[in-house]
Amino acid sequence: MNAITNILKEFPRYLWSGWGAIASLFLFLAVWDLGNQINGSLTLPSPKETFIALWQLMQTAQLWQDVQITVERALWGFLISLVLGTFLGMLAGNFVTASMMSRPIITLIMGVPPIAWIVLALIWFGMSDESVIFTVVIAAFPIVFVGALQGARTLEGDLNDMANSFQTPLWMKLTDVYFPHMFSYVFPAWISALGMSWKVVVMAELLSTPDGIGASLAVARSHFDSAAAMALVVIMVIILLLIEYLLLEPIKREVEQWRS
Amino acid sequence: MPGTQRLNSEKQIENEAFYSVYPVEKAEGYPVVFSYGFRPFFLLAPAYLVLSIVLWSLFWTGMLPISFFSNPLQWHLYEMLFGVTSAMMIGFILTAVPELYEGEEPIVGRTLVGLVALWLIGRISFWTMDWLGVWLVALTNIPLLLWVVVLVAKPILADPLRRQMSLAALFLVINAIQTWFFAAKLNLVTTDPMAVLKVSVGAFMVLVLLSVRRVNTEAVNRWLDQQKIDAVYLARAPRYNLAVFSVTVFTVVEFFYPQNTTLGWLALAAMAAILNTLNDFFIDEDPIFIRPFIWPLFMLLVLMATGYGLIGWDYLQTEVYQLNNFRHILTMGALGMAYYMVLIIVAHLHTGRSFTRNRWIGIGALLLLAGTLIRALGSMFVPELSMTVIGLSTLLWTLPYIGFLVIFGKWLTQPREDGLPG
Repeated sequence: MNAITNILKEFPRYLWSGWGAIASLFLFLAVWDLGNQINGSLTLPSPKETFIALWQLMQTAQLWQDVQITVERALWGFLISLVLGTFLGMLAGNFVTASMMSRPIITLIMGVPPIAWIVLALIWFGMSDESVIFTVVIAAFPIVFVGALQGARTLEGDLNDMANSFQTPLWMKLTDVYFPHMFSYVFPAWISALGMSWKVVVMAELLSTPDGIGASLAVARSHFDSAAAMALVVIMVIILLLIEYLLLEPIKREVEQWRS
Repeated sequence: MPGTQRLNSEKQIENEAFYSVYPVEKAEGYPVVFSYGFRPFFLLAPAYLVLSIVLWSLFWTGMLPISFFSNPLQWHLYEMLFGVTSAMMIGFILTAVPELYEGEEPIVGRTLVGLVALWLIGRISFWTMDWLGVWLVALTNIPLLLWVVVLVAKPILADPLRRQMSLAALFLVINAIQTWFFAAKLNLVTTDPMAVLKVSVGAFMVLVLLSVRRVNTEAVNRWLDQQKIDAVYLARAPRYNLAVFSVTVFTVVEFFYPQNTTLGWLALAAMAAILNTLNDFFIDEDPIFIRPFIWPLFMLLVLMATGYGLIGWDYLQTEVYQLNNFRHILTMGALGMAYYMVLIIVAHLHTGRSFTRNRWIGIGALLLLAGTLIRALGSMFVPELSMTVIGLSTLLWTLPYIGFLVIFGKWLTQPREDGLPG
């Protein structure tokens, strides 16, 4: 509870600290605008054209439906990888044999490009939600698994011994010894996995479903509507940034305070 | 060293004098006003600022014909930017260098009289440029800042950390822009003199950023000490560097590609980078940014950010064209507030005083803010009242400086309150 009030109390100041990042993004928009002036609007629509297209898209119900479908797919895939990856990774991290066994398999899964997984998923599940979610899971799961495994492997025995010698209750051991350490490994892995889910979901939708942002992107491509395509890309980036910087980063800051 | 007074160690530790040695002999026989660099210049700058802007407003509203100058707009811009700011810059750097470098003597007495005389000659010559000719005016204006840089260069160059190098380099850049302006007037280069003046606004914004970083560090921490708030204010260099970078890129691109849409994004980047510097003010212990003395320093950066934000918006859309008015938020607002706060802070600390609870300081800052906003936004909302807008904004904007001269001006002509020399 205390952590939540702290997060809320720090939130306005945290938001304001984002101006530096926004300055860099505006500089990026200036370079993008320059790219438009060199290449023309058909190849690269200007940021202004893109934002106008985005505004027009936002007036349509279709966009919000697509966003909802895509977010749901991505979140399902992400949540499944998060639960499975964290649990199995921690489990494997507790046993040397299990970690030795699991590593080559994870390397193998990560070695297969997501596009190949999409093709396999299409054969296995057809054009459906399952194909997309499966692809997201298979792409995000190894990232979470490796993070959790590393966290469990590097738990310091000395700290555990010290906690035991003070006869620390199990709950306190969990919250004060295991959790902060594990969190510092698992949380960055979750953030990477979320980014991966978001990228893969759009790719999977583009190839395997008739709805969602990925599918709209495919339509924009077939119409040669580069402004709409850029607008969709901008929407995806904005949603990811919002989730990462408004939700995950404040939690991370609060929980990782012990490090500084 | 004969003729110099070295302070006892206690005073040095408390850093109340803001210098370690003082050339008593060189100051002897001169009025108190020539006993430290800021004194004559911080009297002349606000007085000249008030005089110039009142004359300009009377001319602009048609109440006073200025017949002696063929290009009154250039006179207004040059004198408000280079005329006033050069006095502020000289007063500032001559006061900062002995404070920052131990063993560095303050510039006093004869040299100071010489600097003041050259500044005055520069002003008179510019007013009479149509009679004297551009060459002569250039020759009286350009050497002033060069002379100052030469006077303060030694410790800055000798510093192994090169801490004040950026400020000294910026003085030379501003001097180069000044030279460029005269070269443009003499048709030695093909640039439009007005475009050069626009470039100088960017350079002056960088100057404000570099100066307030130093002033804020000193003033805010001293205020925290005085209020017995156990906290440290840090003006973080990377934040200011990002702001300086964004403002510089905008200025350069605006010169080479005027009206390019990229400028909209670059101005917005400058706005965001300047808003980012405000993070320094958010400390856990106290909301210092709403406190007397501190809020105008905070507002100064808000004004600069607002100016760039509105300029960016102006470049990105096609319905409103108010660039010239929005630029006044940078000059009247940010630069004006910087003048005002530097005058107030230096007049307090460098005459051996603590910050006073004088109500005028806050009222003056509010008037300055009101004058700026009326000038920048008035003609957009009530275009039919543009003459009233100019008149009212001039009145509000000059009052703070008149107030400064009336209330604090006498401190600059009297000896330090703590009895120390300087």
